[in-house]
Amino acid sequence: MQRRTVQVTNRLGLHARAAAKLVHVANRFQSTIALARCDNGQTVDAKSILGVLLLAASAGTHLEIIASGEDEVEAVEAIYRLIESGFGEEGGTIS
Amino acid sequence: MTASFAPEITVAELLAQAPPELDLRVIAGATGAANVIRSPRIQKLGLALAGFPHYVHQGRVQILGQSEVTFLQHLSPSDRQRAVERLPWREITCVLVTKGLTPPSEFLEAAERQCVPVLVSSLLSSVAILKLTEFLQRTLAPRAWIHGVMVEVFGVGVLLLGESGLGKSECALDLIQRGHRLVSDDVVEVHALGSDRVIGRAPERTRGHMEIRGLGILDIRELFGVAALAEEAPLELAIAFERWDPQREYDPLGLQEETLRVLDVAIPLLRLPVTSWRNLTTLVEVAVRNHLLRRRGIDAMRRFVRAHDALVAGEARDSR
Repeated sequence: MQRRTVQVTNRLGLHARAAAKLVHVANRFQSTIALARCDNGQTVDAKSILGVLLLAASAGTHLEIIASGEDEVEAVEAIYRLIESGFGEEGGTIS
Repeated sequence: MTASFAPEITVAELLAQAPPELDLRVIAGATGAANVIRSPRIQKLGLALAGFPHYVHQGRVQILGQSEVTFLQHLSPSDRQRAVERLPWREITCVLVTKGLTPPSEFLEAAERQCVPVLVSSLLSSVAILKLTEFLQRTLAPRAWIHGVMVEVFGVGVLLLGESGLGKSECALDLIQRGHRLVSDDVVEVHALGSDRVIGRAPERTRGHMEIRGLGILDIRELFGVAALAEEAPLELAIAFERWDPQREYDPLGLQEETLRVLDVAIPLLRLPVTSWRNLTTLVEVAVRNHLLRRRGIDAMRRFVRAHDALVAGEARDSR
């Protein structure tokens, strides 16, 4: 199992399109991938949009990415980079 | 799979949210309104008043009923004062006096000093305890999120589990088409009621919605009408969809009974291998029918196996 914590940095937070992008990336991997809010422990499947939206992660929220499976290392790395880069959005990131 | 959390409420929240029949009002100790109730179990103060304070638990509502009030009234003023003072006040979160009674002034003064709220209900102890416990069980139910889809099939709450992409949501949509009801897609919020019941419902923000790959997010109420949704359902059966694995042995008799622990309650669990030629919806419907039969004490598999074993044993005897 691989775990890594990341902070949501883009100003709009994990909005619907960003969440869709995340789900899309998660679905490229075989591993099961969970996403958890560090503040309240709410955990959802990163491969399904409703769950990811339910996290309602705004800018500054800390999330933990938890993957297990054959490609767990790559999965965590890819999602970490996506969130960390602010989903490649214009409009900048916090701090 | 799950993240669970145990809720709590303050005495002020109890006053605001309790069912109106309880008819609660505060007669002393209002300064303790922020005291926190953590358990749905109530206690009676009787033994503590009689001098045995060891089992008074923090975080519970303490009941002061007719017997306790009469007991206090029968004591001499000095004994009454002593009985009230030796109560373990630090452990007392709040007191509920039933039947609209008024406790002796010594009790109320002590509660006021110790910042312990004293509430009164006009209901009899038995009824007040029932209503209060019911409310606290619901409000304080341990809860968790489970990744899965919940549907109500023939009135039975069924949790569909399995990794993404195995067709849980598609199966649920199919079940809705056949007249069954959606409880929640993707994330199911489960609440434990007491030690043997689990209720499933949808988190408020996703309630009534499903995601189907290729179609996007659907509003089930708009598409199928309000009858296609169940606000909540008791969780009775879990069905795990699994990729077909030729290495894995499936018990062909179906006699193995597995359970899934959800918030410490054991729920019967069935494993269904998924292949392109197996109609999952029909399998889920039949599994529920079978569950209903078993609930009525009719276990087809056991009956079949018993009859067979008896036959074989009988033949062995005859041929001797």
